[in-house]
Amino acid sequence: MSDSTTTNGRLKAFAYLNAEKACLYRAVMRVFTDAKARFALHLRPQEIVEALVATDEAVSLDEASRLDPENIEAALNQLCEWGNLASHADTTDVATVEEFYRPRHLFQITRSGEAAEQALAVYRRALRESGELQAAALSDIRALLGELVQSAALGEPDEAKVHRTLSLLRTRFGELTSKAQTFIGSLQRTIDLHEKDVQAFLSYKETLIEYLERFIGELVLATADIAETLQKLDTSRMDNLLRIAAHRDLTDAVAPTDEDHAAAIATWHTRWDGLRRWFINAPDRPSQAEILRARARSAIPALLSAVAGINERRINRSDRSADLRTLARWFAATDSDTEAHRLWRAAFGLTPARHLRIDQRTLDERDANPVSAQESWLTSPPLCITPRLRKSGRYTRRGRPNHVIDCTEEKARLAQAAAAEAAQTEAARRRLATGRRMQLSEIGELDPAAFDLFLDLLGEALTARGHRNKQIETTSSDGAICIELTPTGNGRCAIIKTSIGYFRGPDHFVVIQDRFAPGGDDSRSSAPSAAEGGDAGTALSCEVGS
Amino acid sequence: MIEVRKPTMSLGRTASDPDRSPKAVATKGSVVALDARLEQATLYERQRALRALLKCPLLSADDSHTTEFGLVRRYAAWLRDWFARNLDWKLQVDGETARLRKTPADLADGTRPARDSKSAAPFTRRRYVILCLALAVLERSDRQTTLGRLAEEIVAATRADSALAAAAVTLDLANFDQRRDLVQVMRLLLEFRVLVRVHGDEQQYLHEKGDVLYSVNRPALAGMLNVKRGPSTITAGPLDECIFAMVEEPVPNTDDARNRRLRAQLMRRLLDDPILYYHALDDSERAYLTSQRGRLLREIEQATGLIAEVRREGIAMVDNRGDLSDVALPEEGTDGHLALLLAEYLADHVRQDGGMPVGSAALYRHVADLIAQHRSHGRKAVADAGAEVTLTDHTIDRLAALRLVQRTSDGVIPLPAIARYTLRDADDPASESEDTTQDFLGEEA
Repeated sequence: MSDSTTTNGRLKAFAYLNAEKACLYRAVMRVFTDAKARFALHLRPQEIVEALVATDEAVSLDEASRLDPENIEAALNQLCEWGNLASHADTTDVATVEEFYRPRHLFQITRSGEAAEQALAVYRRALRESGELQAAALSDIRALLGELVQSAALGEPDEAKVHRTLSLLRTRFGELTSKAQTFIGSLQRTIDLHEKDVQAFLSYKETLIEYLERFIGELVLATADIAETLQKLDTSRMDNLLRIAAHRDLTDAVAPTDEDHAAAIATWHTRWDGLRRWFINAPDRPSQAEILRARARSAIPALLSAVAGINERRINRSDRSADLRTLARWFAATDSDTEAHRLWRAAFGLTPARHLRIDQRTLDERDANPVSAQESWLTSPPLCITPRLRKSGRYTRRGRPNHVIDCTEEKARLAQAAAAEAAQTEAARRRLATGRRMQLSEIGELDPAAFDLFLDLLGEALTARGHRNKQIETTSSDGAICIELTPTGNGRCAIIKTSIGYFRGPDHFVVIQDRFAPGGDDSRSSAPSAAEGGDAGTALSCEVGS
Repeated sequence: MIEVRKPTMSLGRTASDPDRSPKAVATKGSVVALDARLEQATLYERQRALRALLKCPLLSADDSHTTEFGLVRRYAAWLRDWFARNLDWKLQVDGETARLRKTPADLADGTRPARDSKSAAPFTRRRYVILCLALAVLERSDRQTTLGRLAEEIVAATRADSALAAAAVTLDLANFDQRRDLVQVMRLLLEFRVLVRVHGDEQQYLHEKGDVLYSVNRPALAGMLNVKRGPSTITAGPLDECIFAMVEEPVPNTDDARNRRLRAQLMRRLLDDPILYYHALDDSERAYLTSQRGRLLREIEQATGLIAEVRREGIAMVDNRGDLSDVALPEEGTDGHLALLLAEYLADHVRQDGGMPVGSAALYRHVADLIAQHRSHGRKAVADAGAEVTLTDHTIDRLAALRLVQRTSDGVIPLPAIARYTLRDADDPASESEDTTQDFLGEEA
């Protein structure tokens, strides 16, 4: 920017927009732009006034901007000072002397003035325009890139075609980005401000979600495709094409210098880089397409939460707030705290229930002696209250807790007794379970523990035996001792002496062995069994006598 | 082979037995026993859920009542039906909160204030006003708000309302006490889960060092107010009329509907209030109660586990589990102890003199004696000079809240039910000697 167009960094060309007589200035500039559209380059003050009067501008002008010649002159001079208009001397003929001496000027809109007006027009248009997510633009871009690939493949590409393709690409792409930006911006604002009313918003929500989903689908496909095509157009070929395009840009320039050429090439490179960055991911940052996709995608949940907010607001009845305010006034008007508590309980209903207590002892007593319903409280038996509660207000005694009773001595004694018992059973087992074949009559004397074991085994064997004369082989109930019992059949009677008496019964051959003792299984003696025919089966009986 | 009724209950004997019936009966008996046990467990759980709702009409999922809330959700359908059928109270259960809309039957009861959760101090009038204004402001707020913002809006609301200004109710945030009022109101709202604290600490706000961020729970907010007619539609008048107009439910003019209303009113009193005295009922209610008493009491006993104590003067539903009441007698602690002893004294009076009033002076003297006697067991503050006056007042409040006495201008009139707390001969201190050697809990607490 050259210095003549700025004062303190503020652009003079736009100063008229915020000046005091801004309406007048803007009206004048509009007249000039309209005249320009009619291809009229110079205007006299008189014509300007006529034009202002002809349009309805006069209606919107306030008192300070009255349409008299001095005002208009002053305004035009100010605009010239700001650089929006340029004045030239008016050299046409005049009729009177006064007119000759009055300074006469012709006014023309300058380039900066024109640019400012155009900028204003763009601004107004942009405010009105609604954004779009152009899925169609994506397919155009794809097609154009395809053409570029073809041109790049040729050795001598057609310059005009290349230039046209690249320019189109640029415009299409610019439209896509600006419209997408507008759209996402307005979407956010709509969601934030609930600009639509509820019903419209809800139906709009459906269409919007569909729209977004369609665009996101297209974007995903197009991005992949375009990225691939861009990879095909590698740097060397693109340099060539871009140079051609830049060269063609400057064919109509008046006197292009080398700097202009370099600048043009640089511009095209920048644009091309921008395009690449839009569609191709770099390692440190996502591509713009990704970002657009993310923003479109996140618009949906934002939308849904806005709808949820609307629904939440529906839960309120708008007059609940008034109810609560009235209630506040009532609370303020109560006479005492007790009255306030009454109001609290009635209005909110959040108070707990309240009941008297009773204990199990009283209940049991009442079960035993029921009290009739006609009896008065004054005469019926009262509650049972523990003396401690009555005395101290507590159910438990205060103070140190009791000591834990020490039982180590008793435990030691029990352990000893258990060990002694185990030793006894072991001894008994060793005494009996020799694995040798013997006759019952040979056993002789047994101590109590051994006798108990013996009786157990005998009991097992005899119950398992079906017929009296059969040989039986069975195990004890824990499977550790195996007993084989064979009647001798010789009619003898076996007597075993124990501490409590004598044990009598028919003699049998018996083999008792400990299955888990080492070398237990093969110590059977091989004395022949003397089983003879005779059925001398008298039942085994135990006589306890001393 | 035994015929197996239910697979899990077969006795599995393999020996054949000619006489089948005793075993079948035994099987069936076990089945019945199991069913009965299950049913009893269900009954107990339902009782527990109902009691939890009676004690805390607004339960939520994540505080100290999680198990009870789970039970309420499990039996929500049954509970809703029971409350609607018997008491005409609505129960709303959703994923996070359960709200029993308890319309009280006795509109003259001013003994159940909102209490600050930390200090158990009852709310004052100005705190109630701040509570209502806070709720009104929250209705219009967004999903999140801070304590500072709320305070500003409440201040603006107090200024904008002429009636409040006329009653000289203002909120001055520079004053420490008023800020404390505000903070306690916020704590109550936190307790009811209307607000959820996201960041910050109320203590910091109290000392003007920070702010607190809350998020607003709209369904709980919507569930706070429980009136049949909005107060803004009622013209102002005396407080009694206003309260009555707020909770009144119009009854259709049929016998059936009237009976239902009578029944609902009676059940509400029985469930919510400690003692129902016959002299407080009107004729139609009394007639209904006389004819339907057995059924009503059985229904309540089965549903809640409370036990009916029916006497000539009235009915008291008494509680032997201890999880239903905010104030109870007998109770542990200094206040409970003093209440018990004072109740004993008044019970003696009522048994001898009937309903004669007892003067305040006599009460203060007696309480001073009691304090001297039991000083070692109570709080330190009990022994202060002049403490007996405040203590007596406090205790009489407690007894009046339990409907055991009635306050008059110069003393109290003991009501018949207080005779429950007479000292028994068997419980006199002479039998205490056995107590010193026993170390277990005296009673089921």
